[in-house]
Amino acid sequence: MIAAAYDIKKAYHDSDQLIEVLIGTSLEINKHDFICITGKSGCGKSTLLHIMGLLDAPDAGEVFIAGNKISSLSSEAALIRNRDLGFVFQFHYLVDDLTAAENVALPIMIGGKSSSVALSRARELLSLLGLASRLNRYPNQLSGGEQQRVALARALANEPALVLADEPTGNLDPAHSLEVWEMMTRLNRELGQAFVIVTHDEEAAARAPISYELIGGVLRQS
Amino acid sequence: MDRLETFFLSKYLHAPKRNLFRFSFVFMVLGIVLSVGILSAGLNLFEGYESTLRSLLLDSFAHISIQASGGGYMSLEQSKKVIHKLDSRAELVSAIPSIQYTMMAMANDKIRTAQLRAYDFESEFPYAKYIEDYPGALAPGEVVVGHYLARDLGLEPGDEMTLNYPQLDRISPLGMMSGSQIFRIAALYRSGYYENDRSIVICRMEDAESFLLLTDSISKIEVRIRNAEQASSYAREYSELLGIEYVSIPWDIYAHSLLRLVEMEKWLIFIVFSFLVLIAGFNVVSAVSTIIIDKGNEIAVLKTLGASPRSIKRIFALRVGLAAIIAVALGQLFGAFLSWVVEKQSFYRLKGDVYFIDTLGASITPFNLMAVFLVASALIALCIYLPLKQIDRVQIITLFRNQA
Repeated sequence: MIAAAYDIKKAYHDSDQLIEVLIGTSLEINKHDFICITGKSGCGKSTLLHIMGLLDAPDAGEVFIAGNKISSLSSEAALIRNRDLGFVFQFHYLVDDLTAAENVALPIMIGGKSSSVALSRARELLSLLGLASRLNRYPNQLSGGEQQRVALARALANEPALVLADEPTGNLDPAHSLEVWEMMTRLNRELGQAFVIVTHDEEAAARAPISYELIGGVLRQS
Repeated sequence: MDRLETFFLSKYLHAPKRNLFRFSFVFMVLGIVLSVGILSAGLNLFEGYESTLRSLLLDSFAHISIQASGGGYMSLEQSKKVIHKLDSRAELVSAIPSIQYTMMAMANDKIRTAQLRAYDFESEFPYAKYIEDYPGALAPGEVVVGHYLARDLGLEPGDEMTLNYPQLDRISPLGMMSGSQIFRIAALYRSGYYENDRSIVICRMEDAESFLLLTDSISKIEVRIRNAEQASSYAREYSELLGIEYVSIPWDIYAHSLLRLVEMEKWLIFIVFSFLVLIAGFNVVSAVSTIIIDKGNEIAVLKTLGASPRSIKRIFALRVGLAAIIAVALGQLFGAFLSWVVEKQSFYRLKGDVYFIDTLGASITPFNLMAVFLVASALIALCIYLPLKQIDRVQIITLFRNQA
């Protein structure tokens, strides 16, 4: 098992109201898993993903990464996010002033490698994702699908055991959406990274080997 | 600096147009350029004023004056002995006897105070560079007159003026007798040191002796040395060398307070104008705050990817800081330009009776350049650092929610 979350609870205050989005949900992720989580808007899918990715802290419950219990507030969280986790968001969140290759090289440089090593690895990854001709393009010179593929390459840069994707195709047209889905399944198959994907696309989720639906604050296997 | 910070630094340096010249930086850069320009110009002008005043004081007066201890006249014989004793000293440039006396200058029904200075023109005359169309030596009955004094009396070279002085030792039943003599103006004296230009009257030693009823007597020996800054220590040596019959007075004993005051004013102006840089710093705070809001998703992404808040702060500080450093350098160039304009303009002149000199000069020194650069950089660094502290407090998830 490469990551797990047990009995996660999370609630938000909205005016005077307490909204409980996760009421004790658990998830275990093994090597090579390809997991899709679906659910209605606002049901807490992204919240669960953020908690799994140490971006947010749960009100209760435990998160384990690589067998170690870890909190998003701990000093090691940043190191683990850099080394063991990869993130893809609905919006690509690429750094505007860096080229595609430089964006992909970021996590490697944060990990302490030199820029030449990082850029070399970034070029390899982008070529793997079919973006060899877009290495030196800035994000605003790329199409939506290309931007998301660059974000995917960035998530894979440090060869993390787990990639967490929060509606990675939510902002793309069907053609680009399909392109990104195919890319993720191919990477899961070829590189062996586990993927946890939060999505509204139930059709795509149905094709995933493991699929959950978040209902009433807990995950139910579809 | 870690790998990430080094990478961003090289990125900013290799593509400054894309990374540093941004619209959100325009007012920040303008503010810094203007404030640093004014600070630099103020300092350059004060430095110029100080150095002009100092050099005029050194060029217009003796570096060391040697007088008889009682304050009276010194015989020519005594002066020759003194000059002979000093003659072999390495630091000595010249030692010339002079007669000095305060009197009244009169012409065209106008009267002004005058400082008579009489010299033996046989040796090299140290103040020759201030005399317009210097004739080489004066003929009997000729004087050189300060140009403001000549203007006040309505005189020009070739005109005549009357010098008048009270003979304190010749008292008649009607009061003190006054000595009076007519001199012809041979040339004008224009040094830029207002006090001299408005009062000096230079004549031959022989004319002064006969006019003042002196016989082989002088007021002082005017000594000029190679390094005027060491006048005080040489004056002490001369006092020991010449004995108690004579006193040696260095130039700075009179000018010390004035120069200290000017220097103090210079640094006061520096402090006051530094506040302008601090005010411009508010634009820096605003630019940094804007960039933090504008680049919220980048901050969130960098934090997500594992970058430390310290590293992210440095990346943003480098970006704003490099733009600010360029602005400080441009400000210093602007300050140099402003100083040059002020120096070259002719519509405003200093009031000589207030400021001692009547022309504004600027002087750019490496020390002042460095002082402006360091103070401006320190103030701006503070203005960059304070808003960047927000990055420590911001949660990644809050940033993503705000950007979504």
